[in-house]
Amino acid sequence: MAIEKVDLTKLKPYGDTLNDGMTQVSFTLPVSASEEAKEAARRLAMKMGLEDPSVVVMKDMGPGFAFFVIYGSCKETVDFTSIEVPKVEVETMSKKEVEAFIEENIKRTVTIIGACTGSDAHTVGIDAIMNMKGYDGHYGLERYKGMEAYNMGSQVANEDLVAKAIEMNADALLVSQVVTQKDVHIPNLTELIELLEAEGLRNKMVVVCGGPRINHELAKELGYDAGFGTGSYAEDVASFVVDELVKRKLV
Amino acid sequence: MLMKLIYGKYRVVSVVGMAKNAGKTVVLNKLIEEAYKKYITLGLTSIGRDGEREDLVTKTEKPVIHVMEGTIIATAQDTILNADARLEILEVTEYRTTLGPIVLCRVKENGLVEIAGPGNNWEIREVAKKMLLYGVDVVLVDGAINRKTAASPEITDATILSTGAVVSRSIDRVLEETAHQVELFGLEKVSNPIILEEAKKLMEKSVIGLVHKNGSSTELNLKTALNAGRIIGGAIEESTEYIVFPGSLVRKTLEDLIAVTPLYKKVTFIVHDGTKIFIAYHDWLKFKRRGVRMQVVEPIQVLAVSVNPYAPQGYEFQPEEFHKKMKDLLRIPVIDVMLEGDDFYE
Repeated sequence: MAIEKVDLTKLKPYGDTLNDGMTQVSFTLPVSASEEAKEAARRLAMKMGLEDPSVVVMKDMGPGFAFFVIYGSCKETVDFTSIEVPKVEVETMSKKEVEAFIEENIKRTVTIIGACTGSDAHTVGIDAIMNMKGYDGHYGLERYKGMEAYNMGSQVANEDLVAKAIEMNADALLVSQVVTQKDVHIPNLTELIELLEAEGLRNKMVVVCGGPRINHELAKELGYDAGFGTGSYAEDVASFVVDELVKRKLV
Repeated sequence: MLMKLIYGKYRVVSVVGMAKNAGKTVVLNKLIEEAYKKYITLGLTSIGRDGEREDLVTKTEKPVIHVMEGTIIATAQDTILNADARLEILEVTEYRTTLGPIVLCRVKENGLVEIAGPGNNWEIREVAKKMLLYGVDVVLVDGAINRKTAASPEITDATILSTGAVVSRSIDRVLEETAHQVELFGLEKVSNPIILEEAKKLMEKSVIGLVHKNGSSTELNLKTALNAGRIIGGAIEESTEYIVFPGSLVRKTLEDLIAVTPLYKKVTFIVHDGTKIFIAYHDWLKFKRRGVRMQVVEPIQVLAVSVNPYAPQGYEFQPEEFHKKMKDLLRIPVIDVMLEGDDFYE
């Protein structure tokens, strides 16, 4: 079998063979399932840049809504070689290394408060980072020696988080936003920063946000020190926080 | 022109927005253009990120920033690599961002830049000072999304507020919310000079304090007013005239406070400036009706309000109508940069 070389300047989806562009999309249309609805879904897929789309699933979702799954071949490509995404620039240390770092460079207990703020009730993210048992074999911050980790849970008001931070004299705040509608996570995240500024605390704490719709670049705009997307573990966050505390002379 | 409101009066001016896509960068570009024509040397920085081609939240196209020779910019290291203007590096500062350390550069040849300055207010103020020392006439600080605390007189001398259709589909709602923000920014200054001094002293010490009729004051042993409305309310005496809040004043604090004592009606609440107040428009009306009075140590100089009748969600207001309604409502200059010629509001 001949091995084709991937052209990274013209990257496209891989289905059965290289560059076949095979793509699956799914969406809901606000009309009942019908042959016309199916055709509408197919035409939409074509407008999305899929060639020869075929509607493989159409299901009624109650009156006036239908759900579709469509396969097609993606015509578009991207230049992979030109992509640069700012990432959190810190070498991730292991749990043991973080503990040693605290003992050596900070020489006191590091207090971290975590919360899922605003209307968001989905604590999977913050729990994975904070809780003792951790996630996927990575222990959470509660288990770290030299760290006091306090998880406030879900639907925490920004003012309660700040009040707790003042009460516990926190070094760092971790805010998680998992499921939000119409970008409400944006004003919710900026409100926390504004409140910290008003309380005169912003430059005395490391403030980090995380969630599937958060990245490091957006974090800057929002006023956070770092943003962690999906696939981040407790040691990534811990490494960043302790390193930042030392670099910003907050020890 | 906008620059006329600034030059010779204010050294550090912020442009803050009611929401993302309210048109801050368009205002910034207008100011850059006007400064160039009048030979005014600018210093530019941003609390968020400006001039990147695509909005990070809505994925809509954003205006780029075109800078002129002689301008000094304070921006994160990573953004310099993308700049098309020729830049001379003056200084690498100790201030860190997610996009690398903040670097001060002088523009050697006109061109496009992306600006991502320090992320917190204290560093913005320090960087603005540095730019003034390098000899710029005026420093412009661009806000980010809906973050407004850079407008605090602790950080910048005056501000321009950007608002627009993006705030709400209802034109009346946009008018209300904008007028509310302008009201907060322009809250009345403490008139009694003795009280003003006392308030400043308490704020410097970060202490919540009650000032009584005979001039004596009580300092509360609280680290913050957050979640402490009941305690503060309980401390109010018959003779209390003022309560000084060194940090924020949020809805819940005030709600709890007025729930525990009717004496609040004789008290004036003092905060440093309008950016310390976190009370939405309808709650604000409710508090005012119940007799809450508020004063500030430093009112914010709002030079102008800029309006953008287009919303990225795909709707728009009739530009002339929107502009006129806003102008009739506020007692400060209102501009639509896209609508007007240079001399529209001279």
